[in-house]
Order: sequence, then C-alpha cells, then structure tokens
Amino acid sequence: MDKKLYCISAIFDKVDDITRAAKELTESEFKFFDIHTPYPVHGLSNKMKLKPSTLGYIALVLGLSGAALALLFMYYTKTLNYPQNIGGKPTFALPAFIPIAFEVTVLLASVGTVLAMLFIYFKFPNNSHPLQDTDFMKQVSLDKYGAIIEAKDPKFDESKVKEFFEKLGATKITPIYYDPEELGFKAKIFAPKFMLLLSIVAILTVGISYFLLNKWKQIPPRNWMWEQPRVNVQSKSTFFDDGFGMRTPVAGTVARGHQPYLFMGMNDSAALNLVNPVLLNEYNLRKGKEHYNTFCSPCHGYFGEGDSRLNNQFPNPPSLHSDKLRKWTDGQLYHVITNGQNIMPSYAPQLEPIERWQIVNYIRALQRALNAREEDFNE
Amino acid sequence: MNNTDFSIDYIKKPLSTKVLTIGVILTFVGIALMALAYYTDYVRASFNMILLFSFIASISLCSIFLIALEYIVGAVWSVPFRRITEFLASLVFILPILALPILLDLHTPFHWTHHEAIQEDQILADKTPFLNESFFIIRFVLIFILMSSFYMIFTTRSRKQDTTQDQKLTTQNIRFSAIFMIIFALSITILALDWLMSLEPHWYSTIFGVYYFSGSLLAALAVVTFVSVTLNEAGYLPKGITGDHYYSLGALMFAFSNFWAYIAFSQFMLIWYANLPEETIWFIQRGEGSWLYVSIGLIFARFIIPYALLVSQPSKKNPRRLKFVSIWILGAHLYDLYWLIFPNYSKGNAIFGWIELGVIILAVGLIIVVFNLAAKNKNLIPIGDPKLKRAMDFRL
Amino acid sequence: MAIDYTQEAPVVEGKYSFKEISEIISKPMEVFPDKKYFIALGISLAMFGIGIFCWILTFVYGVGKWGSNVPVGWGFDITNFVFWIGIGHAGTLISAILFLFRQRWRTGIARFAEAMTIFAVINAAVFPLFHVGRPWLGYWLFPYPNNYELWVNFTSPLIWDVFAVSTYFIVSLVFWYIGLIPDFASLRDRTKNKIKKVIYSIFSLGWRFSHRHWHNYEMIYLILAGFATPLVLSVHTIVSFDFAVSVIPGWHTTIFPPYFVAGAVFSGFAMVQNVLIFIRKIFNMEHIITIDTLEKMNKIIIVTGSMVGYAYGMEFFIAWYSGNPPELFAFLNRAFGDYSWAYWIMVSCNVIFPQLFWIKKIRRHIVFMFIIGVLVNVGMWFERFVIVVTSLSRDFLPSSWDYFTPTLVDLGILLGSFGLFFTLIILFTKTLPVVSIAEVKAVLDYAQPSHHEEVKNG
Repeated sequence: MDKKLYCISAIFDKVDDITRAAKELTESEFKFFDIHTPYPVHGLSNKMKLKPSTLGYIALVLGLSGAALALLFMYYTKTLNYPQNIGGKPTFALPAFIPIAFEVTVLLASVGTVLAMLFIYFKFPNNSHPLQDTDFMKQVSLDKYGAIIEAKDPKFDESKVKEFFEKLGATKITPIYYDPEELGFKAKIFAPKFMLLLSIVAILTVGISYFLLNKWKQIPPRNWMWEQPRVNVQSKSTFFDDGFGMRTPVAGTVARGHQPYLFMGMNDSAALNLVNPVLLNEYNLRKGKEHYNTFCSPCHGYFGEGDSRLNNQFPNPPSLHSDKLRKWTDGQLYHVITNGQNIMPSYAPQLEPIERWQIVNYIRALQRALNAREEDFNE
Repeated sequence: MNNTDFSIDYIKKPLSTKVLTIGVILTFVGIALMALAYYTDYVRASFNMILLFSFIASISLCSIFLIALEYIVGAVWSVPFRRITEFLASLVFILPILALPILLDLHTPFHWTHHEAIQEDQILADKTPFLNESFFIIRFVLIFILMSSFYMIFTTRSRKQDTTQDQKLTTQNIRFSAIFMIIFALSITILALDWLMSLEPHWYSTIFGVYYFSGSLLAALAVVTFVSVTLNEAGYLPKGITGDHYYSLGALMFAFSNFWAYIAFSQFMLIWYANLPEETIWFIQRGEGSWLYVSIGLIFARFIIPYALLVSQPSKKNPRRLKFVSIWILGAHLYDLYWLIFPNYSKGNAIFGWIELGVIILAVGLIIVVFNLAAKNKNLIPIGDPKLKRAMDFRL
Repeated sequence: MAIDYTQEAPVVEGKYSFKEISEIISKPMEVFPDKKYFIALGISLAMFGIGIFCWILTFVYGVGKWGSNVPVGWGFDITNFVFWIGIGHAGTLISAILFLFRQRWRTGIARFAEAMTIFAVINAAVFPLFHVGRPWLGYWLFPYPNNYELWVNFTSPLIWDVFAVSTYFIVSLVFWYIGLIPDFASLRDRTKNKIKKVIYSIFSLGWRFSHRHWHNYEMIYLILAGFATPLVLSVHTIVSFDFAVSVIPGWHTTIFPPYFVAGAVFSGFAMVQNVLIFIRKIFNMEHIITIDTLEKMNKIIIVTGSMVGYAYGMEFFIAWYSGNPPELFAFLNRAFGDYSWAYWIMVSCNVIFPQLFWIKKIRRHIVFMFIIGVLVNVGMWFERFVIVVTSLSRDFLPSSWDYFTPTLVDLGILLGSFGLFFTLIILFTKTLPVVSIAEVKAVLDYAQPSHHEEVKNG
C-alpha cells in the first residue's frame, strides 16, 4: 500500500455549522480547502468570498458570435452565393433572418457555456478523484455537510487541521488517502486491444457511410402513381362500351388556334382580295423557304419551274413563273395552297395558315428573281 | 396570530415639500404651454393631448395592475413598494380631466368621426357600430368607472390593514384582483384600440392591445422603481430593502423590455412578411422621411439600450443604474407613444417642438403632484400587511 | 380556512430528513417493477406499435395514405406537430421561467416536466419529417454544402421551424442533464449494484458536491434559464409564424405568436398535471408533489386559458373590425360552418370548462382537475385542428373547397404518438429520479442557514 494523504475531511451535521465553518476557513491561513454540500447552500459563496462566476462572459461572447455567425452565413448563402427573389423581399431580408440568428445564438451560448463549465472549469469527467467512493463523499451526497483541507496546502499540518475542525464542531474527522498510481494512470494508445477497437470503429464508420451515401440517399421517390387507373395512349379501355381508350370530340368542336377558311372548295378568284398578313422580311422569307422546300419543291422544284425530282412520274405542274401566276394576287396563291387545284391536294392539314402565307412570300421572291426589276440592281 | 410578528421599525416621515413645489411649477408651466398650444396650433395640440392621456393612462392603469398582480401571485418582495404603486395608481382620477379636451372635440384627431368620409368609404361605414362618438365616450366612461372603483377597492382595504392588520382584507383583495385581471385586460385593449389604433381607422392588428399593455406595464414599473429607489435612498423606507429587492424590480423591467421587443417584433414581422396593403400602410407611414430614423431609434430606445443596461446581474442591484434605466424607460415609453400617434398628424416627416416638450413637462409635473397629494400624511409602506415582515427578509 | 400570510407555505409537506427524501425519490429505481407497471407499459407499447405500423405504411406508400388532399394539404400531421410541441412548452416554463421568478413550488415538478418536454419534442419532430414526403432525405432540411449547390431558404418559416425545434430539443436536453448531474452523483453513492454504479458514475461525470462547483452550477442554471425562457417563447412563436406569415384568412393575424405560446403553456400544464396526478399516487410522493403545487398549476391553466380566450375574442372582433370580407368569412365559417362542431369543442374545452377552476374546491379536487386537464388537452388539440383545417378547406378558389376526413392511418399515427409519449414516460419513471433530489433538499425548511445567523455573521 503506497497511498498518499490527499486531505483531512470533516463532517458537519447542521447547515449553520457549515456556514460558520466556511467563514472560518476562508479567514484562516489555509488556501486549499473546499466545502461539500448535498445541495447548494445560500450565502456560502459570500462566506467563501468566491468571485462572481465568469460563465456569464463566456455566454455573452458565444452568444454574440453565434448571432454574427448565423447572420454572416445567411448573408453569404442568400446574397452572395445563390441570390434568389423570394416573395419580393430583398436578398438580405433582415427581419426574416432574425429567428434563425436568435436560435443559433441561444444554441451556441447555452451549449457552449455548459461544455465550458463541465470540461474547462470543472475538468470533468473526473471519476478518479481521491474523494470519489469514500465514506465522506457518500455522506456528503446524502445528508451531511463536509469540509476538507488538502495536504498540498503550504500550511497543512495533520494535527493542526484536526484541531481546527474539532474547534468548528465537526462530528467526524477522517483523513483521505489516494493511490498515486491509480491517479497517474495513462492510457496506452498502441495497445493491441485499443488498436482493434479503433479498426472496428473505422470499418463500421466506412460501412455505414457507404450505405448511407450510396444506398440510402439514392432511394428514388415512390412512383406508385404509375400504377393508378388511367388510359394509355392508343390502348384499349374497358371503361367505355366501344372499347376505345380515346374519345372522338363532340360534334362542332373547334381545335385550339383553328381559323376556319371561308373559301374552301371555291374558285381561286374567291380569294382574290385576301390580304397577306405576313410581313415581308428576312425571317418570314427564310421560314417560307423552309416550308416551300419541304412541301412544294417535290413537285414544283426548288425554283418553281416545275422540273422537280418527281419529274414525269406525275403530270408535271406548270411553272410558277408564268405571266398568269405572276399576276395572281397573294390571296389566289394562298387559296391554291389551302384548297388545292387539279391534282394538287390541299396543304391545310400540313401547314398552318401563317406558314402558307410565308410560302406565298417565298414564291413571290422566286418570281422576282427571274424577272428582276431595274431597282433591284441598285444595291 | 401574533401581532408582534408584523412589527418593523418604520417611522413616518413627511415627504419633502421641495419636490412638490417643483411638481407644481412644472404642472403650471405645462398647463400654460398646453393652453398656448391649443391657442396657436389647435390640431397639433389635440394630438399632443392624446399623447399625454395615453401616457398617464399607461402609468395609472398598469399601477393598478401591478397591485392586483402582487395579490394574485402572492408576491412577497414587492410588498414594501405596494403603497408607492397605490399612490401612482391614483393618477387614474385625473384621466377624465385629460380626456375632456379630446372628448369634447373628437372630430379633430379622429378621421372616423368625419361624416363625409364615412359616406364615401364603405369600410368606415361598416365600422360605425363600434367607431362612433357616443359609444367611444361610453366606453371611456365605463373604463374609468371600473378602474377607479377597483382602485378604491384595493386601496381602502390596503389602508384599513395599516391599523387593523386583518389578514382577511388580503384574502378579499386577492379575490377582487382575480376579477380585476379580466376587466383590466378588456379595458386596456379597448383603450389602446380607441385612442391609438383608431387614429388610423383602416388599419388593424390583433396584437395591438398587448403591444400597448407591454409598453404601459414597463412605464408603470419604471415609475415605481424610480420612486422606490429614490425614497429608499433618502431614507423614507425602513431599513432592510436591499439589492435583492432592487434586483427583482430590475429583473421585471428587463423581462418586460424583452417582452415588448417580442410583441413589437411579432407585429412588425407578420405585417412585413405578408405585405398586405391595408396593413403595411401603417409601417410605411412610419418608414417615410425622417420617421424612418424615429422608427429605428425606437428599437434602440425601447429594447437594445435597456437590454444592455440591465443584462448583467450586478446592474440590476445597482440603485444608480436602476434610477437611470427607469427614467430612460419612461422616456422610451413616451417616445413609443409619440411614434404611435404622430405619424397620423405629421405625415412624411417627424416633428418635435415646444408643444411636445410642454407635454413632457406637464406629464412629469402631474406625476409628481398627484403622487405627493396621494401620499400626503400616509404611510409609505403598508405597515399592516401580513407579508411585510417576510418581504423585508426577502433574499434571492 | 384562513391562510396565514405571515408564514411561507412549505414546498414539501411534513417533516422529512434529507435521507428520507433521497429514499423516496430513488425508490422507484431500486425496486423491481411490479405487474401493474408492465401492464401500463404493455398498453402504451401496444399503442406505440399501432403507430409504428402506420408510420411504416406511410413510409412505404407515401403520404397519400393520409387524409390530406387538395385543398387541405396540412391535415393531422401538422395538427399533431403543433400539439406536441405545445405540450413540451410547460416543461421549459416550469424549469426556466418559474425559476427566474423564484417560484419555489416548481422544484417538485420541474424534473418531470422537463422530461415531458423532451419526449414531446421527440414526438413532434417525427411529424414534419414524414410530412416532407421522403423522410430518408430529411437532412436536406439543414443547410450544408452539397452537389446541387443549393441552400435552404432561410426566409421560410418552415426552415425557422427546423432550427427552432432542433435548438429547443438540444437546449432542453442539456438543461435537463445539467439538473440530473448531482442526482446521478447521489445515485452513484447510494447504489450497491456494480453495473448501475458504472453507469451512474459515467453520467455523473465525477460530480463531488463541492461548493466551488455549486457556485458555478447555480450560475449556469441561471444562464440556461435565461436562455431557455426566450427560447421557449421563440419556438411556439415560430410555429405560429408557419401560419401567420401567410395571407390565408384566419391564419394571418398578428396576435398569433403570444396566443400560440399561451395555448402551448396551457395544454402543456394540463398534460403535466394529468401525468403528475398518477405519478404522485403511484410513487407515494404526495408530500413532495403536493396538492398546493397542483392547485398552482391549475391557476396557471386558468390564466393561460383566459389568455387563449382573449385571443379568440380578439381575432373575432378584428375580423369584423378589419372590414376584410375573406377574413370575416373565415371566422364565421369556423364558428358556424362545416367544422363548427370542432370549433365549439375547442371553445368549450379551452375557455368554458377551465373557468370551473375559479372554484377552490374544484381546483383542489383530484378527480375534477384530472377531468378538466383532459378536456383542456382535447380542446387544444382541436384548436390546432380548427386553425389548420378550417382555413385550408375554404381557400380562395371556391371550386376546390372540400371537407377533410382523416384516414385510419391518420388516427393510428395519432394513437401511436400518445403511445410513444407514454412509453417514454413510463420508462423514465423507473430509470431516472422523477423529482430532483438536490433541489428538493434545498427547499426543505431547515435546509438553508437561518437569516439571523447570516446577519450576525456579517
């Protein structure tokens, strides 16, 4: 047994005794003493002349930094990194940031102060303190009041201390010893058992992270909606008597954007006075060229001369450069495209009205190219 | 029950006449200024009268509330200050005098009294069952009668106890204070809606009554704190009132400063966020021109500075700090009321002139005079209160 | 029947020594639980099991299993969330606000109420997690640098909720644990069981009752109480912002923040009172959790209940006063529309029945106060239901107006949340001291040095 003396402890029965003891101890020559009570006793701090706790300042600093941190973070994310217009509010919408700034302030200040108290002020966890697991501690935690004077006190002297405590009215005075080896215990970091533990922890961490990041995170949204009763395009349906999934529109239904053509089936002169609504500009000409090349050129040829790649397979269409056609109005050309003529079918199903007008414009351009006027050369 | 239990060494001292003289002078200067104001700028003077009325109403009504609060929660530490609170509560009796110039001419400050406006405005017309002149006056008279009778109920029992030391009186007062709480909540809400919110008759906010209450309670606490600390330092109160009592007063002021900030922020936040035109107009008026600086200043005056001054534990026990903060809070309450009332008078820019100064002088003068008159030849602490002994022994 | 105001009412009835206090409080942890305990645990576990089953259904099939549908997108889930968060508020009120107001009667009930806070917040947090639809991606609610280069929307009240609820949970847990440290140390020194001793030692962190520690400990308790008080206000305020920052009639009123806080305290106190009635009976703690304490709680119930009543009245009045037709419609619809049954349950349970507490006999009668407590909680649940559902079911587009009907899964989850709550409470009573040992010792009438002694010494 190589035990060393830690302190002399004294037990007091009454709360007034411990208050007096605290006062006397503070005024005595001893510096390293402590009072132990099962609950906080009022006024003891004054008696022991303890300085006001400095935890308040820690809370203040942490709280202010929490508020600043939260505001800066929100400023960075919402104003600098990814500005968004939300509800017409400014990107740095201070009133809307206050709730979060407040919460972060409270979180940082309260948790930080608690951690500071436990681990910096008290140096916890400290289960190997010499006082732990002694009869003194068991009494103090239940119903008695205790005082100790540590052996490291420069004025420490066993008999003197005992005498001092007796004078104060202590009911029980006992020395408390400790085992320096137990206290000085240092964990061996490279012990095989510890290394094994470390590797198990490492494997578990990697495995769990792998699972979380690669499996868990990738769970797709549930697509049960795919299986709800509905009609697929062009498929059979048991819902309707006729077995068709698709419905025919009600008689008289007008398609979106449909403009009825009044002169269907009439002679081209009927459309004599139709006005070309499309502007004669580069865009419309280019569009007209596209549509002409797609729909008209197979028969009429790329330049409207009737010499297409389908030459002689059908009766050849007349040239678009004839005098008759040059004298036609835009309306008449439009009418032929819309209505068809002889064996030429109607192109209304393929082409929107605006596209037909664009073709008309392009035909005009083709006609002009072969019959250029004086002013065309002045460019 | 042993009567010696109650005995504490209290010697009644007459209040200094010097303070009363100052109060009387201030009151007369204030009255003169107000009279001059009514003569020179009638409209502005009536808005100032509303400011004065709502300020004095804050202090008087919330002082009665503090008395009732002490009874209902069984607070001990505040017993030595209760008599002071009672004296301040007697300001309730000058409320009709202050209200009279406005009640005689509601037309000037209140837009909803204008018949031609009601005819054009369906919303105002819909409000006439509540916002009409006769009902307004009836409400005020009713509130005045209720509040002053509760004042009488509490104070007569409290004074009777000085001689009889009868504990039953405390029990009775506790019962009355429970009833009072409900009536008080309705009264102060109606007062806030009538005198402050209806200045902008289109605007509405459900929290407004609570807003006015939170500021008013702070003002009442501030006056009580200032008077108590001053009287105690001058030796009018018995020995035994220590930093722990001060701490409780300071803590309450601190708590209610926070409460005010909470209520004010809630109101602003919800209106700012939802951004409905009929609601935001009220804050837009207070963000125009120099009103913006007044609004920002309010945050500092009412919350940040009192918060910083009272946040630490020792500062709540420091009598000098407490006196400064209570004067500050009282001023901030006046500032708050000014911020509530004056954007309706002076749109676009804040104004401050000798008329507003006159209101401040008159308010201070009235508080001093009424307090002195009420406290004349009376005990400054409720010497018969059964809790007094415990209150003097109060430790945190 | 006369009360003697000259004397302070004792917090703990009767004469107890410190030793007896320790014994009474730690007894539940030292004796093996009896049959009744297991029956109670079994019932609450069965309820919890039903809840788990319904959660799994929701997890697999999605929130379509719930009754929420257009236009009522917030159904039982948000109602329950607000309800449980509210239950938690009483705990922090008792442990923090009443501490700041130096109300010594709180000592007997503080620990228990704090525990209930934590359990209620756990319960509450589950609902929004499932409400988002893909609970396995719940971490998206927190701002962290990610490959989508997106941040959460800090101006959204729903994100404020995430911060508020998680802060509230952490701070409550820390507060609770700080209170438990000395008790863990007491238990460590009491127990004869080796395993228990190791566990208690770990959690006590080596607390040794030194006054130099108590000195800081009291300070941290004050600081934590100082932070927890605005925190508890902020949490339900932010929950109320979820509703009130919108422009939906019936949700957008400025009184919502204080009104929600008062309502939360109201329901929380009713719940604490209900559970304590059983605890004090079962564990023979009638002298520590006294009838006076329960009476004071009932007084707070009536105060907060009246505040809630004030808010109801104020909302109604301003709805009319505002001259805003949708606003007035929303309130008339609440009171006389499809959900008027829920509205009148709410009004009667929250405003009318608690008024019975004005009568002292009822306030001190265990059976009556229990019944009123239950009614208050029913009423407060319906309050949230009324707020959430009535306003949504009558949105701005009359063609989509619809009546909300909960599904069995909704009801199962509601049952399960009570199961989880009571399971945690029942386990708590046997594992940790339900009353703070150190705090109760400190409020015994001979625990503190006499005042005159202090004066004499200086």
